[in-house]
Amino acid sequence: MNTKNIASVIAPPAHHFVGDGFRVHNFIPGTYPLSMQRMSPFIMLDYNSKHYFSPTDTPRGVGVHPHRGFETVTIAYRGKVAHHDSTGNHGVIGEGDVQWMTAASGILHKEYHEKEFAKAGGDFQMVQLWVNLPAIAKMTPPKYQPITNEEMGRHELPDNGGFIEVISGQYLNIKGPAETFTSVNLQNAKLNKGGKAKFSFPARYNTALLVIEGEIIVNGNNRVPLNHFGLFENEGEEFIIEALENSVVLILSGDPIREPIAAHGPFVMNSREELIQAFEDYNVGKFGYLED
Amino acid sequence: MPTFDQHLQEKTGISPENAAILTEGLRTGLIKKGEFLSRQGDVCDYTFFVETGLLRAYTLDEQGKEHIIQFAPEGWLISDRSSAYFNEPSDFFIEAIEDSEVVFLDPAFNDRASAISTNYRHFNNLALQNHIRHLQKRINLLLGATAEARYLDFIKTYPDLTLRVPQWMIASFLGITPEGLSRVRKELARKNFKPGRS
Repeated sequence: MNTKNIASVIAPPAHHFVGDGFRVHNFIPGTYPLSMQRMSPFIMLDYNSKHYFSPTDTPRGVGVHPHRGFETVTIAYRGKVAHHDSTGNHGVIGEGDVQWMTAASGILHKEYHEKEFAKAGGDFQMVQLWVNLPAIAKMTPPKYQPITNEEMGRHELPDNGGFIEVISGQYLNIKGPAETFTSVNLQNAKLNKGGKAKFSFPARYNTALLVIEGEIIVNGNNRVPLNHFGLFENEGEEFIIEALENSVVLILSGDPIREPIAAHGPFVMNSREELIQAFEDYNVGKFGYLED
Repeated sequence: MPTFDQHLQEKTGISPENAAILTEGLRTGLIKKGEFLSRQGDVCDYTFFVETGLLRAYTLDEQGKEHIIQFAPEGWLISDRSSAYFNEPSDFFIEAIEDSEVVFLDPAFNDRASAISTNYRHFNNLALQNHIRHLQKRINLLLGATAEARYLDFIKTYPDLTLRVPQWMIASFLGITPEGLSRVRKELARKNFKPGRS
């Protein structure tokens, strides 16, 4: 096994708002060199770094919008999100929970701060990821996996180092509950100060990490501060992270989907024709209907 | 102005050399969302070509209600003809609804382009006929068609605008209420949504 080294440490780009409820830094695909092709199967990553939202009776969020051709994964670190979709699913993503929504052939959804959270106001911190689907799965029926924190795989690290939460993929012999179409590892390393964790993924996998809390050092030589993104080289397999203070780190590693990408707005397909079809299908109601 | 250059060469069949001559010295501008290129009552003799972004032309009725006449996304032209060709005060506001890059075409642009290129003359004539055809169709739809027929025509003309502009603007363009538009979309979903298909 060889060491997988950090290729670059990327500072959070300027934030923008998605709707009025998500104050995000877009790492993938908007920040060089994190293009969709480079990061596949992770084709979009918006990070709402910790931000205080004042109390309101009108929950902030994003109104009805469609998706086709991929999965949206929402990881709630702080705050709660209520969501509804056109297949009739609705629920609340609680603090520490994950929603894994497979848009596939098409879905409409809306996401708002949960009512009570909005009323009280508070710190809000989320990651929203888009995970691409292979061509063969892009037009399968949509589905939806709510994953509570308790359902995640959990590996305790030795010496009171903390633990690893496995959302998808595998850490040592611990598997994550999310069902995926290709190999996708999404894991939270929740480390105490001085805690260390070793990860191992195939060299070809696109691998990265995002520091949600605290600060870490990777392989003993690359510091990655709070809210920074660490991109790994596609060489070597193993890396070690060590927490310089109590830290939370999102680890992403997935088998790249080597297919053409045609993306426009909320649709990610393989060709321009499929994109045009997506707009047409959305416009004539083939994604269903959802009240705003 | 890459989009305008491409428009001239690919749509109107003007040679790269002539396109370079015609675009030399043309004014371009960056218009922020919410800013106006022209207001009701102004005499504005420019026609605007949208490089990037999205413009709309609308009018205000006596009750102060907006009625949208036209949207102009990338690659579209928009103007008030009373103003641009007849030197009369404009009936319309032309406003950016996204940050937009715009090429300002002066009234003599068509004459210069037609003088330099027969292809452009043919293109311009056909474009004018096509524009009138669309206006005829729009009058016909507004006078007698169902809200659904108007919506179906809208999405053919502007396939991606349903995701770029608020519902009330689409409703305003169609001459229906936002609730009426919601009913149309709900009814279409009822007919076309097949849950669980693969």
